[in-house]
Amino acid sequence: MTSPAAATSTTIAGAVMIEAQGVEKWYGNGYHALRGVDLTVHQGEVVVIMGPSGSGKSTFLRTFNGLEEFQHGTITVDGITLGDDLRQIDAIRREVGMVFQQFNLFPHLTVLENLTLAPIKVRQRPQHQVESQALELLERVGIHEQAHKYPGQLSGGQQQRVAIARSLCMEPRIMLFDEPTSALDPEMVQEVLEVMRELAKEGMTMVVVTHEVKFARQVASRVVLMAEGRVVEVAPPDQFFSNPQHERSKQFLGQIA
Amino acid sequence: MVRQGPLRHLRRELFASRLDGLISVGLITAMAFLGLALLRWAVVQAQWAVIQANSTLLAVGRYPLDQQWRLWLLTTLLALASGLSWGLLRGLPRPDHPLRLWPRHDRIAVVLLVGLAVVLPLLLQLSLNIQMRWWCITGLLVLCRWAAGRWGQAIPRPWRRWVPVIWPLLYGAGLVLISGGLGLVRVAPSAWGGLLLTLLQASFAILLCFPLGVGLALGRRSALPLLRWGSVLYIEFIRGAPLITLLFLGQNILGFLLPGGLAPDRVWRAAWILTFFAAAYVAEAVRSGLAAIPAGQLEAARSLGLPLPQALIHVVLPQALKVALPAIVGQFISLLQDTTLLSLIGLLDLLGTARTVMANPAYLGKNAEVYLVLAVLFWCCCAALGLGSRALETRLNPNHQPAASR
Repeated sequence: MTSPAAATSTTIAGAVMIEAQGVEKWYGNGYHALRGVDLTVHQGEVVVIMGPSGSGKSTFLRTFNGLEEFQHGTITVDGITLGDDLRQIDAIRREVGMVFQQFNLFPHLTVLENLTLAPIKVRQRPQHQVESQALELLERVGIHEQAHKYPGQLSGGQQQRVAIARSLCMEPRIMLFDEPTSALDPEMVQEVLEVMRELAKEGMTMVVVTHEVKFARQVASRVVLMAEGRVVEVAPPDQFFSNPQHERSKQFLGQIA
Repeated sequence: MVRQGPLRHLRRELFASRLDGLISVGLITAMAFLGLALLRWAVVQAQWAVIQANSTLLAVGRYPLDQQWRLWLLTTLLALASGLSWGLLRGLPRPDHPLRLWPRHDRIAVVLLVGLAVVLPLLLQLSLNIQMRWWCITGLLVLCRWAAGRWGQAIPRPWRRWVPVIWPLLYGAGLVLISGGLGLVRVAPSAWGGLLLTLLQASFAILLCFPLGVGLALGRRSALPLLRWGSVLYIEFIRGAPLITLLFLGQNILGFLLPGGLAPDRVWRAAWILTFFAAAYVAEAVRSGLAAIPAGQLEAARSLGLPLPQALIHVVLPQALKVALPAIVGQFISLLQDTTLLSLIGLLDLLGTARTVMANPAYLGKNAEVYLVLAVLFWCCCAALGLGSRALETRLNPNHQPAASR
């Protein structure tokens, strides 16, 4: 079985994983959410997208796996160009994991079943094999004792770690994080960021929308600042935080400092 | 908590203050008065001969006498299947529950069931032969429940997952037993009547309107405009018309609408109309359930690569149907009661049969007895549906667990 994704699996380090060009999006009410956004993400990179609320950063992130439609521009993910073809969207989604602000765990399934559902149904892998992999992943994120509980019995931080493990269970080549710590109580933020740090260390390609400056400083390969539906500045974290080039960036950093 | 004696408990509940006491005394007096009056009427005045003489007619209509063993067989099979499912559902330990063969509610249910099986036939003064059959069937049910709870664990897991398949199989077998074929003498639908016809119509409509309603609800929320508007049009048309008009309409036009052979006679035509009618209401109940599920659930499922049908089946629908369950069962219960309208289009369902009985000059003026029995029968069926749904609800709730560590 050779999926389009498998064909590119031999790419060398630094190969382009996500390429967005001139992406424009209008919402149904006429609101111009994305106004010609370009971004290239290479393999193994951790790209952190920051920006004020309403800047379109989450919307932009969600176009990468087809959760948001866009009207102009092109997006190519792992060699597959996003188009109207639904099979291509499903192919991309198999290779791209996503972690949401609200966790979005399936409350009617146990933690273990949350992890194994997609690999069994989509990848058609045998149950026992998926289960042992899922338990390993849960151990990696530090919650294997909770495998048979339901999501509602876990803390927010634990739930988000389960959500990360659930995405990893599909063995994605890219991970998208949409404000993964914004809905968490402050004392639970670190345990989630720690898991994300580990993931970055292992070389996962990651695009992260977040407000965590410390995380961005330590982990990001590049920081992207978005405002009013445009990319304002792209820079390595050292440069971005200590010596921003654009007026809008300075203003934003001044506000969150 | 210190356990109080029942008397002190009663006193605290009913006579906490002077006003409470006054209200309690008033209500108890009224209830006692009404209850005694009813009892006196039932024992002294009422003449149950009308029920006794027509019990078979009320139960199965003009179903041929020499073929009625088929119905007894079906009832026995139903009791066995119920006992088996009940025992496996409730008597088995769950990871979070200790094993208990007879949970408290089950003990109450058994006592009620046995009580009904003994008291009702006795009250109606059915012949001893028939009374004994009911005792045996109830006994079998309880025995099966006990055995399934006791030894159910010994059945390997993969086999146990197939147990629910018994029900559709049994339904098919029941249809064959009732209507004949496969070597059995044919009994035309026009000979079915009474409780048999009522339950048959209701169960047929309940079973079919459920998938149809789920489909309509999904269609109404679909992104495809034709599907969406088709569903909206259907649901609003059906909900805008009284069932009785649809029943009359159906008797006239359903023959043209359905492919030949699907609705050959009045009984089946009515069954289809009931199905189509209930589907629109079930669709609205399911839609309310779908609306209660956050959009993030579908997004999460889709972003894991699940195609839309699988995302709906494994993630959205299980949650939505759980939310909609009480409303759906409410629809089923009113559907069961709506079957009485069949008597108006000339079918001999429970009410229709009862009316023929009351029209018999021999039983003139015995309306109260007949209607009371009808009410009790309907109440039993609806209570069973309601109890089943409540049991399902608690079972489907993952947060209903004793040791929930938040």
